[in-house]
Amino acid sequence: MATQNTSMSSLEADVLVIGGGSTGAGVARDAALRGFSTILVERRDLTDGTTGRFHGLLHSGGRYAVKDPSAARECIAENRILRVTAADCVEDTGGMFVSTPWDDPEYGDLFLDGCRATGVPAEEISVAEALHREPRVNPDIRRAFLVPDAALDPWKLVWGCVRSAEEHGARILPYHNVLDLEVDGDRVVGAHVRSEQSGEEFRIRARVVINAAGAWAGQIAKLAGCTVNVRAGMGLMIAMNHRLVHMCVNRCKRPSDGDILLPLRTACVIGTTDVFVPDPDQTEIRQADIDLLLDEGEKLVPGFRQARALHAWAGVRPLFEDKAEVADTRDVTRSHALLDHSSREGIAGFLTITGGKTTTFRLMAEAAVDAACQQLGGPRACRTAEVPLAGSENHAMYRIGHRLAVREPVPQAEEIICECELVTRGRLEETIRQRDTTSLDDIRRLLRLGMGPCQGGFCIYRATGILHEGGHVDSAAANQTLLEFLDERWKGLHPILHGDQLRQARLDDWIFQGILDVEHLPG
Amino acid sequence: MNYDTVVIGAGLAGLTAALRLTEQGQRVLVVARGVGATHLSPATLDVLGYVGNTRVESPAQSVASLVASTPDHPYGHVSEAQRGAALAWFVTRAATALGYMGSVEENLLLPTALGVPKPAAFAPRTMAGGDLRAGGRFVFVGFKGFKDFHPTLIAGNVARAGLAAPIAARALELEPPASGRGDLSGRVLAGRFDTEQLGDWLVSALEGRVDPDERIGVPAVLGLRSGDAAWQTLEQRLERTVFEIPTLPPSIPGIRLFNALTSALRAGGARVVLGVRAAGARVEDGRIEAVAVTNATGTVSHPTRSVVLASGGFASGGIELDSFGVTRETVFDLPLAGVPDTDHVHFEPGYFDSQPLARAGVPTDDLLRPVGGGGRPVYPNLHAAGATLGGAVPWKEKSGTGISVITGYAAAEAILRPAPVPMSESAR
Repeated sequence: MATQNTSMSSLEADVLVIGGGSTGAGVARDAALRGFSTILVERRDLTDGTTGRFHGLLHSGGRYAVKDPSAARECIAENRILRVTAADCVEDTGGMFVSTPWDDPEYGDLFLDGCRATGVPAEEISVAEALHREPRVNPDIRRAFLVPDAALDPWKLVWGCVRSAEEHGARILPYHNVLDLEVDGDRVVGAHVRSEQSGEEFRIRARVVINAAGAWAGQIAKLAGCTVNVRAGMGLMIAMNHRLVHMCVNRCKRPSDGDILLPLRTACVIGTTDVFVPDPDQTEIRQADIDLLLDEGEKLVPGFRQARALHAWAGVRPLFEDKAEVADTRDVTRSHALLDHSSREGIAGFLTITGGKTTTFRLMAEAAVDAACQQLGGPRACRTAEVPLAGSENHAMYRIGHRLAVREPVPQAEEIICECELVTRGRLEETIRQRDTTSLDDIRRLLRLGMGPCQGGFCIYRATGILHEGGHVDSAAANQTLLEFLDERWKGLHPILHGDQLRQARLDDWIFQGILDVEHLPG
Repeated sequence: MNYDTVVIGAGLAGLTAALRLTEQGQRVLVVARGVGATHLSPATLDVLGYVGNTRVESPAQSVASLVASTPDHPYGHVSEAQRGAALAWFVTRAATALGYMGSVEENLLLPTALGVPKPAAFAPRTMAGGDLRAGGRFVFVGFKGFKDFHPTLIAGNVARAGLAAPIAARALELEPPASGRGDLSGRVLAGRFDTEQLGDWLVSALEGRVDPDERIGVPAVLGLRSGDAAWQTLEQRLERTVFEIPTLPPSIPGIRLFNALTSALRAGGARVVLGVRAAGARVEDGRIEAVAVTNATGTVSHPTRSVVLASGGFASGGIELDSFGVTRETVFDLPLAGVPDTDHVHFEPGYFDSQPLARAGVPTDDLLRPVGGGGRPVYPNLHAAGATLGGAVPWKEKSGTGISVITGYAAAEAILRPAPVPMSESAR
């Protein structure tokens, strides 16, 4: 907690949002759409916390229909909204709940009752029909149900929000770390931040500060002397090469580990686990959890262990708990929590929005900005349920094959830098320019560069050369970002390295160490 | 048909063994799932470039001390005389089309496509002009539209390479005549040097832009069909040293090497069959009597007196790791060395950390015969060569092609002239 310091340069806004995940980006957009001057700060890159590490499921609510009905109701309402307003981020895969031989088929009745009670459309289909739709799914399933699950691209979602917010005057500052909150008497009046890129420190004065730091919200609240009990529930995910399923396939049982497999772009993702971790920045992937996911995958799709695993990663869910200790993170509600610190601790101008899930990010933002309005002179109507995100104006949903369809009529028109994800030189150069970044990892999050089967084996040399040719970095910095990319990539590779992906990794060793000799680059 | 030797694998080790055996009068069959690592390889002969993080100046000397301290290294199973004979034979008899230059006494330092000086004992004559050891002035020339070569980054790094002799480096990017293709691959460019005289364009594009004492580095795409004819013409017409720099696969110099070796094999009467999979052996009295080879229509058994296993390591599918963490040699299920003694292999969290399985491979005796418990050969007539062998980290040591040529040759020699007493026992 700091008092005012007048020697620093400063920015001013009605609303300062802390956190650049889906919640923070949603809050910034909502506030900007309501006409508030808005600044968002994120300590790393946008989506780098939880949003960019979630499984990618746009919930229908089916998953929560039995044990968390209010979460289920929120999900289906938001699902319907996002299919329209964030169409470009959504692939309408549909979802299927299946009872495998390991699941009690009678849970299906509870499931149908729960869906009916919460308004989640669900329809039982025959096993034959289910296997016709999903030929790889375990042929011994006993029941199957269709729900409107979909795949959600978290990077597109956040960047769509951010571009939309910027169009309405918001300033978005990734790589800006909040060092302290400024408290004047019983009011938060701003923050003291540092640019992690330039090292510059400055103040942001704001009439309301909204803490949207997710699993890190407790750390931010503490800077104002407030307490937010948010725990980090770590979940592991593994991306598998190819779409082993067409739809989001869920086990029809109480939510548990490794019970979702969903298609996401050219890959599919199995998730997830759920373990409390004391520090959201410490997410170690354990072999036992990898094996658990692979074994559960085998139950859903026989042969799963022989399929090619591309990458593993862990994300941390923000789990809000206000009272006693909770033993199992799955017993914490997935509904969100909005905390007004003036009523809790007598600190005005400071709100925390946490808990929840990416599917309900828009609703969380609406609730937070509604509360902020009370401190900013009265209600203003929320418009995010109607106004489409930047990129989603024509309401056309994302479709697998889109990138290929763009390239196919003129396959030789332009260099393709990343063949796995069909990233052209033009798109890469434009992104480097627009993003004004020198980090290949930042570019990866925007373009999926290096996220395909070869995990950057071919495109990263090319992208490094292009970054340097464009004058964006000198050769020392180009070498640095190449090496950082390789090290970062390895973090997600080494836990699941086997089979064809180990073969690929060895080819990449030959490319980077054998042919290019990156180990002996000059510093 | 009965063969003297069936060679499994068509990478550099398999082709070297096969050619040595063919040249010595054997009837040889080469079977492979596809082309081998030649198509990825820069085609330099990398005998030994690094020991730990120390750059090797004399491979001959450093290999001798490496073998003394690391007897399990593949070079440890081949005598110094035979190592020298293998390289000499390869350079002067086997791969003459590439005109290898260099010496096992001292490494060249050739710029990579990132501008790092990389040690190699021998290099095709198209590349040898890039030797950075004497310093000097360099121009790196890229072709617009060719994404696999970035001359400004090469020049930036070469200029900062920190070698003893001063180096000046600059970059030029030239735009080749339009071809209707905006996405050029190395193979497409090489084809244009073969058929469209892209060399004429390059000579005129460089006219007046390169000083007489500047050496010209270009991507290794100077033609394929007629070997290095395009490079020779370029050097003559430009009156400058021109050198190729290998880059991302597919490697044009590597394909030239593959073509040279397979042509020589076929001319010598050997049979090379790609697109098939060796699937085990028929064994009688402890010896391999025939190799089972599976093609699209079924499995054929090829009777043979000897077998060379050169199916490669993890990169080529010769060795596999499954999702339970279990490692396996894929053709004969041979015992492996260098596999951690745990129930599940775990990799280290840093990309440049020392990784488990890096040295994993088939252990052998000094006749390069895979051995099992007690050090006894699994089959008396099975030999292994190349990346199948354990005990080395060739992509870090810069020893991959050296190991392939030396052990491929030595495996052939072990078949041709089985020594009464294994070499290293008498030497030790």
